[in-house]
Amino acid sequence: MAHAVISCLHANLAAFQAVLDDIDQQGIKTITCLGDLVGYGPQPNEVVELVRQRAIPTCQGCWDEDIIDGLNACECSYPSQLAERRGHHAHHWTADRLTDDNKAFLAQLPTTLCRDKLLFVHGSPNSQHEYLLPDMNAFAALERVETAGAETLFCGHTHQPYVRELSGGSIRVSVQQSDSEEAREQEMILPMRRIVNAGSVGEPRHGNTKATYVVHDDTTGEVSIREVDYDVAKTCQAIVKAGLPDVFAWRLSHGFEYAERAEDASHVCER
Amino acid sequence: MERWALVSGLCGDLDLYERIQSDLKKQRGIAHLFVLGDMIGPDRNCDALLTRLRQPKRGDLQPNCIYGWWEEQLLVAYGYRGEPAQSTQNRTTSIQELRKAVDPAHISWLASLQFGFIELDCGLIHGSSADVGDPLKDTTSPLILLDRLTRLDVNRLFTARSGQQFRLQLTGGQIQSKVKDPTGEQQREQAVPKRSVIGIGSGENYTLYDPASDRVEFLSVAVRSRLSNLGFG
Repeated sequence: MAHAVISCLHANLAAFQAVLDDIDQQGIKTITCLGDLVGYGPQPNEVVELVRQRAIPTCQGCWDEDIIDGLNACECSYPSQLAERRGHHAHHWTADRLTDDNKAFLAQLPTTLCRDKLLFVHGSPNSQHEYLLPDMNAFAALERVETAGAETLFCGHTHQPYVRELSGGSIRVSVQQSDSEEAREQEMILPMRRIVNAGSVGEPRHGNTKATYVVHDDTTGEVSIREVDYDVAKTCQAIVKAGLPDVFAWRLSHGFEYAERAEDASHVCER
Repeated sequence: MERWALVSGLCGDLDLYERIQSDLKKQRGIAHLFVLGDMIGPDRNCDALLTRLRQPKRGDLQPNCIYGWWEEQLLVAYGYRGEPAQSTQNRTTSIQELRKAVDPAHISWLASLQFGFIELDCGLIHGSSADVGDPLKDTTSPLILLDRLTRLDVNRLFTARSGQQFRLQLTGGQIQSKVKDPTGEQQREQAVPKRSVIGIGSGENYTLYDPASDRVEFLSVAVRSRLSNLGFG
């Protein structure tokens, strides 16, 4: 059976509606959302309410967490003070407008969802703030999936969709417990595991402006990355009209990574 | 090249610390002493040891200390660090004993200690780069050990939490990574880097390391004192 996995909606209602239409047209009934319903975009309440209305199982993303717990990430989250100021502005704008009911919904979201050997998280099993980028050290990437006890890990947070298959792995070690003892040689055969990044519905940064999500067939194991056109200009206008930083609209209209991601993406914030 | 001595789990035992200091004086070329946490513990008063670590006696090898699991528990209890772990009867009793064992005058010093040291291409940590309470052992999955090395980007990771003395060297292996994204598909092979995790032991068991030769020596003052008791001394 095919199911859709969406992530990083970022208060972009037009993109979210277009993705839902695309999912519905394929007759897919099961949707899982990997969080970041809010932040950057101009329609936080509308997006949260649509997720609730459709009863989509959802993990809590880093923006959802920050709106509830307050901004307590260290300054490593941003590459510059300017970017940090923009991020804080968007945070306060969102926190001011989000209804108490919708905040309560974000607060009760779990950090992980699990279905058989499929694990769903926002960033990584360790943290909503950790980026699993496609070029991350392959052994470290495998460790995230294996330690969590999953066969396939679905994540978001990077806004770049990809499917990564880690296979044919082994590690040879030599162990010594005392100076006099002969070293023992061992080999660990590593299991095949997959990481599927759903990209971003509401703030794509993969080089074009289309909203992205993935469809996974749990019978065949096949994963397809879907790209969906939506009315980008409509959301950009709403961003500017709302008084959110213009650069958010500029970035949305290009689909590029620009300025907001931490320089060291592998860094996990020590809170 | 100057050698390092690595010690952990003194748990307030000044007598043990003095025996290790005395043992180190007999070794050649020891230039640095690293105390990888758990200087304190709930079982005895720790003030004399903490005072000695902070104000070494003449002739002592100057200790470089980081915090360990027990220091973390005490700092949590005093509100210096995050949220306390789930409270159980045993834990509550241990923390009460720990608070009694350490004079509050030492708390700000304990709070100033670092999580770990990076010296040359080595990481020196109580637990691991993931957590101060992470007990790395010689039986820990090599995948996890490699991850802990990768997180710090070091070639050698010295750890104390498990209390074990061991050296585990990653000697070979590889993994295939295939990435498919909207622009296409890429495949590459990554080799296992030649790196090591070294368990330094705890309490009476400690470790010497020579960065020049990469030689590790596991020692114990327990064995030495037992042997000397067998003599005519």
